[in-house]
Amino acid sequence: MNWKKLLAAALVLGLSAGVMAGCGSDKAASNGEKALVIGDTTFNSSNEEPDVNPHNAYAGWACIRYGIGETLIKYSDKMELQPWLATKWENVDELTWKFTLRDDVTFSSGRKMDAAAVKQCLEHLIESNKRAAQDLKIAAIEANGQELTIKTTEPKPALLNYLGDPYGCIIDVDAGFEKGIVAGTGPYIATDIKTDDHLVLKKNEHYWGGTPKLDKITIRTITDGNTLSSALQSGEVQAAYGMAYESYPLFRNDKYNISQISTSRCFFGKMNFDPDSVCADPAVRQAIAMGIDKENFVAKLLDGNGFPANGVFPADPAFGGDKVKAEKFDLEGAKKVLEAAGWVDTDGDGIREKNGKKLVIKWLTYPSRQELPLLAESAQATLKEIGMQVEINNTADNNQVVKDAKAWDVYAMANVQAPTGDPEYWFTVFATSNATKNQGKYKSARLDALENQLSREFDPAKRTQLALDMQQVVLDDHAFVFCSFLKMSMISKVNVKNYTSHACDYYQVTADLDVE
Amino acid sequence: MSSSATPTIRLQNVQKNTLQRKLYFFGALALLLVAASFFSEQLCPYDPYMQDMSLTKAAPSAEHLLGTDRYGRDMFSRVIAGSKTSIFSTLLLVSFITLFGSFIGIVCAWMGRKTDTVLMRLSDMFLAFPGLVFALAVAAVLGGGVHNAIFALAAISWPKYARLARSQTLALQAAPFMQAAKMAGSSTFKLIYKHVIPNISGPILVTAVLDIGTMMMELAGLSFLGLGAKPPIPEWGSMMSDTRNLLPTQPWVTLAPGFAIFFSVMIFNLLGDTVRDYLDPKRR
Repeated sequence: MNWKKLLAAALVLGLSAGVMAGCGSDKAASNGEKALVIGDTTFNSSNEEPDVNPHNAYAGWACIRYGIGETLIKYSDKMELQPWLATKWENVDELTWKFTLRDDVTFSSGRKMDAAAVKQCLEHLIESNKRAAQDLKIAAIEANGQELTIKTTEPKPALLNYLGDPYGCIIDVDAGFEKGIVAGTGPYIATDIKTDDHLVLKKNEHYWGGTPKLDKITIRTITDGNTLSSALQSGEVQAAYGMAYESYPLFRNDKYNISQISTSRCFFGKMNFDPDSVCADPAVRQAIAMGIDKENFVAKLLDGNGFPANGVFPADPAFGGDKVKAEKFDLEGAKKVLEAAGWVDTDGDGIREKNGKKLVIKWLTYPSRQELPLLAESAQATLKEIGMQVEINNTADNNQVVKDAKAWDVYAMANVQAPTGDPEYWFTVFATSNATKNQGKYKSARLDALENQLSREFDPAKRTQLALDMQQVVLDDHAFVFCSFLKMSMISKVNVKNYTSHACDYYQVTADLDVE
Repeated sequence: MSSSATPTIRLQNVQKNTLQRKLYFFGALALLLVAASFFSEQLCPYDPYMQDMSLTKAAPSAEHLLGTDRYGRDMFSRVIAGSKTSIFSTLLLVSFITLFGSFIGIVCAWMGRKTDTVLMRLSDMFLAFPGLVFALAVAAVLGGGVHNAIFALAAISWPKYARLARSQTLALQAAPFMQAAKMAGSSTFKLIYKHVIPNISGPILVTAVLDIGTMMMELAGLSFLGLGAKPPIPEWGSMMSDTRNLLPTQPWVTLAPGFAIFFSVMIFNLLGDTVRDYLDPKRR
């Protein structure tokens, strides 16, 4: 009998040890180090951020957000250009730009940041990132001490804006890219990463901008908004990015800080121009644009944390807001448009047909932006009223699905429309015929011609007018439907200091970020 | 001896009557549930699909007994409409696995040899997979949707019935009345139809009724994970999944389908238990 008791006692001890190990506190905390855990719904491969290498897809967003990398130029909250790693710059002629770099900056690898290192970084960038190569149009780079000269193949008025894009994070290429980790100049150094799971950062003791206040930061990828909400409430994470707006009432109290700012992040749908897609029919595109109830979506499903969108850009910049004419929510008008185009419900099932083809819209979206599925279901109901059947595919595999032109008709996504403070970015990424993310194969000769002008135009007033003209082309073709702009919010425990939202949605982790 | 036998018979009669009453009660509740789901369209006070943004997330009231969801849809109507998807899908699934599994079991027992070996090893293969994980994999490969979820659960659930039917049939084959029927010249079809099926149907029926609750939970689980019903189709599992963000702030939206699952599963489980007890020869 005794041996049974002993066995039972051993089992109990073993289980207790396991439980204690599982509940063990963070090593950093036990060492007396200052540590912070941030939960993020968007740091994942679904958002093309598999690591922190700024030259890889959109991973530069993670690099700059988490304080690993810095760019030559940064943006103010009014999206004005400010010096960062470059102290000053000069437009020598239409094709030549000269930059003076800070002299007191070293990479986390220990190498000094000089013009030669920046040249090497930018050359690697345009070799490995098609979007950057297309944006920057760099012909040659010259390095001389802390003086950097960039020559472009064509006049590039928005070059400065593009250099502030996250892909422009200056990294030490010689330090390598093992596991997607890079050596930047920021206040924190990435030490460990597991895609779609976590990123660990440690303090950069030699940061040029002052000593960072935290010893260790862990970024945890938590794609589900409900899990993130629970994690913040339980204290598993102390700060959160990308929380569902529906959970905000839980955090509007004196235990939490909510930092909120209006941004150009937009929920919009791009139409598929593939001949087999129902959206190849202009009437269908127009009816979709007229059939989405943006006002109620913002008021009820975003809980007022946004603004209904008219054109590509929000109201703040000179090239945004209601200076362009877009379709209004008008279900009766949409029905007339479809009827005039021959889409009629012949079998009485509430769904229109034309030439034997049902008006079925394959609506592709993804869950990591918590309100995109709500937009889909809202559109599903309103479009049904005009005789369209919307089949929703809400998948984290959106980047693969969107490559198959037969798998979707509308791709609803979230995007920061003017992350460089300049309008050209959006058109060259999404709308021109050679745009990198024009998966719907939209093609407009007039838009391409206007973009050609915009890319060479230095006068801000003329750039604004061109941007407005280009938006109007896109809206008249109903190639996209813009639904809402979002207020960007970050939530943290009240003892977390300086976890602040920025209009460009970049600089989350700074040297000032602290836990009291 | 005879003095002790009388109270036992009385006790048995009391137990039988109690069981009978329980059987009628739970049977009536289950029938009511099935009937309500059958006539759900007529019973819904509002269109379960109709969005009304002026009524979003309204708390339960006299007008909307279970409140409204984030799209302003009446939750009471959606729970009733969801019963059609949830209950009928479950009944379809249980009927299919019962009939298919029993058929395979009888075939195995009757044919024996290679057929039995092949089919039983096949069923062993399906039994070797962790149930819900296999169903998840099947549903993920085939894509979402109620039909695929039913297929996925059916694929892993039929072997239980096949094994049960096989063992019962094998036991019957050796019974003297079966030997007598064979000697009297009964055909295989007649033997199975007249003697095997009536004799094995009791335990299979009990298993099937007990399985309704389990299958309802598993279907709701697949839907909760996004592999069952697709929006805007009301289905209890997917309704809970879609609204779980609202649990801390507007709990009625999540709890309404949750309680619907709870009560339905409870009714079918209690019915299953009662049927089992009622058909148990020791308790008659």
